[in-house]
Amino acid sequence: MKLFLSLIILLGGFVYTPPKVNNFRLKNLDNRTTSYKDIKGEQFTVIDFWATWCKPCIKSIPKLVEISEEFEDQGVNFVGISIDGPRNLAKVKPFARSLGVTYPILLDTNSEVMGKLGVRAVPSLLIINSDDEIVYFHEGYKPGEEIAIREEILKLLGE
Amino acid sequence: MKKTEFILFFFTFVIFGSKDSKAQVYGSNTVEIQYGNLPFEDKNFGSSYDQVNLFYDHNNLSFYGRVEYFLTPYEDRNYQDLTQKRIQYRDDTFRIRLGNFYETIGRGLLLRSYDIPGSVYEDEFERTRYSFFRDLEGIAVDATTSWLEVKALHAKPLFNILPPNFKPDTLRRPDLVEAIQANVFLSEKISIGGAFMRSYPNFSNATSEYGSFMFSSTPIQNISFFGEYAFETDAQVLAFQKEDAYALYLGSNFYIDSFGGSIEYKNYNNFRLGQGYNDPPSLIKEHTYPVLNRSTHVLETSNETGFQFETYYNFEEGHAITANFTTAKNDLFREFNYMEFFLEGYYEVDDFLSIKTFFDYADDEPKSEENRISVGLITDKSFNYEWGLNLDLQYQTFERSFDPDPSSNYYGAITFTYLPDISAGIVFEASTDPQQTDNPNTFAVETETRTWLGTNFSYRFSSSNRIDVFAGKRRGGPACTSGICYEILDFEGVEVRFSTRF
Repeated sequence: MKLFLSLIILLGGFVYTPPKVNNFRLKNLDNRTTSYKDIKGEQFTVIDFWATWCKPCIKSIPKLVEISEEFEDQGVNFVGISIDGPRNLAKVKPFARSLGVTYPILLDTNSEVMGKLGVRAVPSLLIINSDDEIVYFHEGYKPGEEIAIREEILKLLGE
Repeated sequence: MKKTEFILFFFTFVIFGSKDSKAQVYGSNTVEIQYGNLPFEDKNFGSSYDQVNLFYDHNNLSFYGRVEYFLTPYEDRNYQDLTQKRIQYRDDTFRIRLGNFYETIGRGLLLRSYDIPGSVYEDEFERTRYSFFRDLEGIAVDATTSWLEVKALHAKPLFNILPPNFKPDTLRRPDLVEAIQANVFLSEKISIGGAFMRSYPNFSNATSEYGSFMFSSTPIQNISFFGEYAFETDAQVLAFQKEDAYALYLGSNFYIDSFGGSIEYKNYNNFRLGQGYNDPPSLIKEHTYPVLNRSTHVLETSNETGFQFETYYNFEEGHAITANFTTAKNDLFREFNYMEFFLEGYYEVDDFLSIKTFFDYADDEPKSEENRISVGLITDKSFNYEWGLNLDLQYQTFERSFDPDPSSNYYGAITFTYLPDISAGIVFEASTDPQQTDNPNTFAVETETRTWLGTNFSYRFSSSNRIDVFAGKRRGGPACTSGICYEILDFEGVEVRFSTRF
């Protein structure tokens, strides 16, 4: 018990720095392994964790597609990471394409990258800067939150 | 040195011992405190569960540890354990992992492991809470080039029905598997692959050997075909005899503009491997609506055939329609059939109001539920993108051949949100299903309608910290997340969960 508490205190005690995204590799919709560093944006990378069975995710994706098109010429790349397992894998590609997604979709079937980036629920949206630091983290989606996401990207680009 | 001492000293060393800017420590912590009990139990008690995940990355090296801790007044339920540990080396083409890791062979017909981040599972028999994952413990290597992918592993899958404090600990990993898989990309559009797996089940010296062939093809941009055939090497390939162990999965998907769909076929026979470390695609629609999520059909790998067809259309205005048709047949001591038809519509009235509705019809012989009809209506109203109101109403009814009266389930929830960080809601459920109304602690069969009323509150006080509070009665039952189904217990009391990332 004491050791456990010590561990918590220890973790709370060290100086906070933004967590970084280490390069990871996942399969894309064409079954090819793709690494994060190959698709990351020059300025920022927006990663959206989603799943075909997640209703708020489906609601948010068309809004994210609009935002991705607005910023595609400004060094901001969008990446979708589907956490669908083998049960739903067949649906990911047509689902994404019919929703108009043009940015890369990667498949995290074991939820390994999800766990490593501290994502606990879908949808979760991360904005990562060119130094691979996570500078924005947003969990869930309610109508209107796309406005805050867009403003955050604008703010980050303005810095 | 105890495991927790080891991890404490290890991370102390890496945090304070490294000044290299390329090194970093990060992780997450989830604390869940409960006071209450199962609804039919007499005595309330307090318990606390904590899960710490710690990563340390330095150049190509990565270390990971998960510590879990559970404390109740009942000594036999308590534990404090380093439940996962891993060291990994990775470069652009090669990766090696030692310790606890996740890996899937093919589409999961032979082997699948998974993590459900944030999940806390409680077993009804042991009454111990722990995170729900199925990992592998051992060693794995993989390499990827532009035309070839190879992976190999030697590991013990976790039998996750047994909690971390189960003794003897060796029973939690009764199987040993050795597997190798290779995939060759013949072109941009075609890949073929094969796998071989040897299994040593239940500490036995006897081995079982399995092979697998897989393919994936996208002949034109909008249509893909894929599949996998796995079999025990003793069996005649593609003979599909009743005594053989085999699993065949075939699928295709397609899309044209805003229209898309998929069709899949399964034929599994004698294919529960070891204590169930494989997970072939179930081809059952995964629902998030509570009345449907609980009614899910659980795959029976001893014998199951069937198919699933799903199609959707997304309108330019934001409206969407989804239809799904699923069948499954189990040929066990007798034949059991499952059929489900699901239709869902989503309509965006304007930027501030959306309506979603669904209809589901199922005949579920494995659960003895016939003519199961489920309907729902969900409205989402936003007030200038500041306040939000969500109203969710669902109803389900079905018949059982041995019960003259139909059973019904009711679900209603109302949630207020104050964007982006606060939400509060009330959930009401009721059931006339005798399997729900009966008190298992009495001889009589209670049939009075049973109700559950609970309140939820969540507050995200920074992008890294969140608190969730539940008070009242919560209905349990089967639940599916990310394609994994497990049983959730009923709960009556107060629960506070604090999640943080650092």
